[in-house]
Amino acid sequence: MPPKRKAQAVAEDEFSWDQDDTPLEDQDMYDELKDVFAPAQQRTHMRRDAASFLFKFDHADAVLKPDHASRPLWVLHNGRIILESFSPLFDETQDFLINIAEPLSRVSRMHEYTLTNHSLFAAVSVGHSGKEIIARLEKYSKTTLNPEIVAFIEKSTSSFGKAKIVLKKTLSYIESDDPTILRTLLEDGIISSCRADNSEGFIQEAAPKIGVMAIPGTKLAAGASQVAQPAVTEPQAPADMITALREEDDEEEVAQVHSFQIRSEERETVIKRCQALTLPLTEEYDFNNDENNATLDIDLKPHAQIRYYQEKALSKMFSNSRARSGIIVLPCGAGKTLVGITAACGVKKSVVVLCTSAMSVVQWRAEFLKWSNISPDDIAVFTADSKKTFPNNAGILISTYSMLTTVRNRSYDSEKVMQFIKSREWGLLIADEVHVVPAQMFKQVTHTIASHAKLGLTATLLREDDKIQDLNFLIGPKLYEANWQELSEQGHIAKVQCAEVWCQMTPEFYAEWLRSNTNVNKKLLLSSLNPRKFQACQYLIDFHEARGDKIIVFSDNVFALEKYALKLGKAFIYGGTPQNERLRILENFQHNELVNTIFLSKIGDTSLDLPEATCLIQISAHYGSRRQEAQRLGRILRAKRRNDEGFNAFFYSLVSKDTDEMYFSSKRQAFLVDQGYAFKVITHLQGIEDRTDLAFDTPQERRELLMEVCLAKDTDAGEEKIEGDMFGTRFASGKTKKTRVKRTAGTLSELSGGQDMAYIEYNKSRNKEIKAKSVKNNFLRKLKTSTANAKKKAAE
Amino acid sequence: MVKAVRGTLVKCDASIKAMLVDIDNRNNNDFIIEDLDEEHLLVKETKVATLKAQLNQMLKERLKDPEKEVSDAED
Repeated sequence: MPPKRKAQAVAEDEFSWDQDDTPLEDQDMYDELKDVFAPAQQRTHMRRDAASFLFKFDHADAVLKPDHASRPLWVLHNGRIILESFSPLFDETQDFLINIAEPLSRVSRMHEYTLTNHSLFAAVSVGHSGKEIIARLEKYSKTTLNPEIVAFIEKSTSSFGKAKIVLKKTLSYIESDDPTILRTLLEDGIISSCRADNSEGFIQEAAPKIGVMAIPGTKLAAGASQVAQPAVTEPQAPADMITALREEDDEEEVAQVHSFQIRSEERETVIKRCQALTLPLTEEYDFNNDENNATLDIDLKPHAQIRYYQEKALSKMFSNSRARSGIIVLPCGAGKTLVGITAACGVKKSVVVLCTSAMSVVQWRAEFLKWSNISPDDIAVFTADSKKTFPNNAGILISTYSMLTTVRNRSYDSEKVMQFIKSREWGLLIADEVHVVPAQMFKQVTHTIASHAKLGLTATLLREDDKIQDLNFLIGPKLYEANWQELSEQGHIAKVQCAEVWCQMTPEFYAEWLRSNTNVNKKLLLSSLNPRKFQACQYLIDFHEARGDKIIVFSDNVFALEKYALKLGKAFIYGGTPQNERLRILENFQHNELVNTIFLSKIGDTSLDLPEATCLIQISAHYGSRRQEAQRLGRILRAKRRNDEGFNAFFYSLVSKDTDEMYFSSKRQAFLVDQGYAFKVITHLQGIEDRTDLAFDTPQERRELLMEVCLAKDTDAGEEKIEGDMFGTRFASGKTKKTRVKRTAGTLSELSGGQDMAYIEYNKSRNKEIKAKSVKNNFLRKLKTSTANAKKKAAE
Repeated sequence: MVKAVRGTLVKCDASIKAMLVDIDNRNNNDFIIEDLDEEHLLVKETKVATLKAQLNQMLKERLKDPEKEVSDAED
């Protein structure tokens, strides 16, 4: 970020620059690693010109190649790579970079990547050698490569893949074909304390043969050309990849592997420690040669065609015919589930799928049946409602994170299933929405489930805390991240216009906002119920309904949600809405032309799949959560009409001016901006002042609203807690909440029930209208009609 | 007997006005002579400098600067 560098550089003393030793700004979490692997930060000599004081490193001494204009890359000293997306070599270069570096930001003209040891590690295991990486970077770079970068790449690539961690009969072993490496590892106190077997020597066996793997669903698997070796998966033993430099002869030799056992519960410690010792462990599963575990008869149905980016992602996972653990990042609606299913079809062993909620468990099961030929009996579902296991030796088990990690006493049935899960060895663990799982919880899951390979799926590999790095050790490195803009160009996800609408606070509301300095909840409520925002929302809903759009309005705050929905006469769903009412509303939204707008609370952020929605309005949100913003955007990415000519989906974020919302909103957008989305700022909605039919038009009404907000109880203003949903609460079991007596301000009429005494219902809930279903019981019906009559009479 | 006070007309956003009124309230109504409408205030001429200083301080306390904070958070 140039502005930041500027700020730093100016503040610093000129002469201290050369000694400056700021750590690399890459994704690394371990200081030791940083020292070993970070590209050098020190410069002995630096040429200066008039502007160089603005930057710490201006690369003024880098030599431009004579034909630099036709080369697409800038490689910076700190491992950052900047790619010109308008270059003719763009596609080729991008394919290469995605293998060796992590994408940071992909806006329209410039893409930014960073080289990290994790990304280089991944590159080595898909068959790039250090020399090749350097040669190709040199080819694409506008300047001659910095020797520090070259040294960094060489160092990183050569130290990886020498030892690996494997799972045999639910026990963990460390394996290497060079016993000296194992000896070095054991000299380390921490690792030797984690060793499980007490024998002095190592276990020896012959190294397994390596074949070629075809990903199901791709042309390779479908076509007859099995004989012709594919370029995607180069047969290569990971251990000797670097030294062998692709010499064919090496594979002919029968190599010996040596191993020792470690305690399974210390697995993470060992992995971390080995990273620190610069001998990172590879985690690969040779499923073709695994004869101990029963093979599962599963294959993709012929109609399942996987898209090119899904193929790319999977080919990184199944490089050299072994399954590597890692995380695949695809935008919402781009077919993450299919990637998971294809991976399961590739491994053909027992699979565990973990999701965040019971709702998505059902969805996963349906998808498995839809895309693969697995028999329904072989899919077991382990949730609060159904506790089954599969009858055969191999099968698929779908469950939620909370089911596996709950600490409460289990019922007999679920205890039995848990025993079943613990006792067996699993081929693959698929972790859906992997970014939401607290590290501690996931650790517990990995203890419980002895799986050979782990695949994490997510759209947003983001957390507002720094826990995201833990996933590197718990699951594996990021294997693939799709380019959102490219996918929307090709019509796999919808094109979206993003806008941020600034709404003035009315003076009364702002005065109150200023006054409630310490009460965060009240401030939130005031800024989300700002009458101007309300009007803007109403205006946008009217505008888009007239265009024929289906609109979802999101509000984190239930009090505000209810106010908006009742006032505007729209249906709304929040955590407390009963299941059948929910389904009815959603069905109506999908098929009924009269219901074009629904209001959703946080529960709509992830699990709801509404391909009809084409417009999204956000009125209140969870602070600066980039993940929520991206997940909400995901609701309209799968828009059904996305392939229509000139179709655009709309994403509006309503922000009250001069409040904290402005600050959070800019934070929230950071991720989407990196994915190449541009947010337009709308300060004024055309023609809004000409309308007189908007809500809260008179100061009188506004003051009444303000009064209601002020009288709202603290609990109303607070955030919604949703049970059984990982997004809402950190731990899904919300039942342990203590109920305490609380003193709150209210009116006397409220206590006497006078507040609810309404003769004419102004704020009629649209939910009820949609529901309108007659009462079946005779007696109840009579009772209902009689009370209705009484009410009518009273009204007259 | 009529008492005359020299005043300065202040024109500002509604939100800034709300802040000015808030400052005024906390200082025994020492600043504002007349609250004209949503965007205009009449302020005692002698107090303009103090009012400005107080407003600046309040802005600093209350509002986070989006631009700056974002670039800090990213790097």
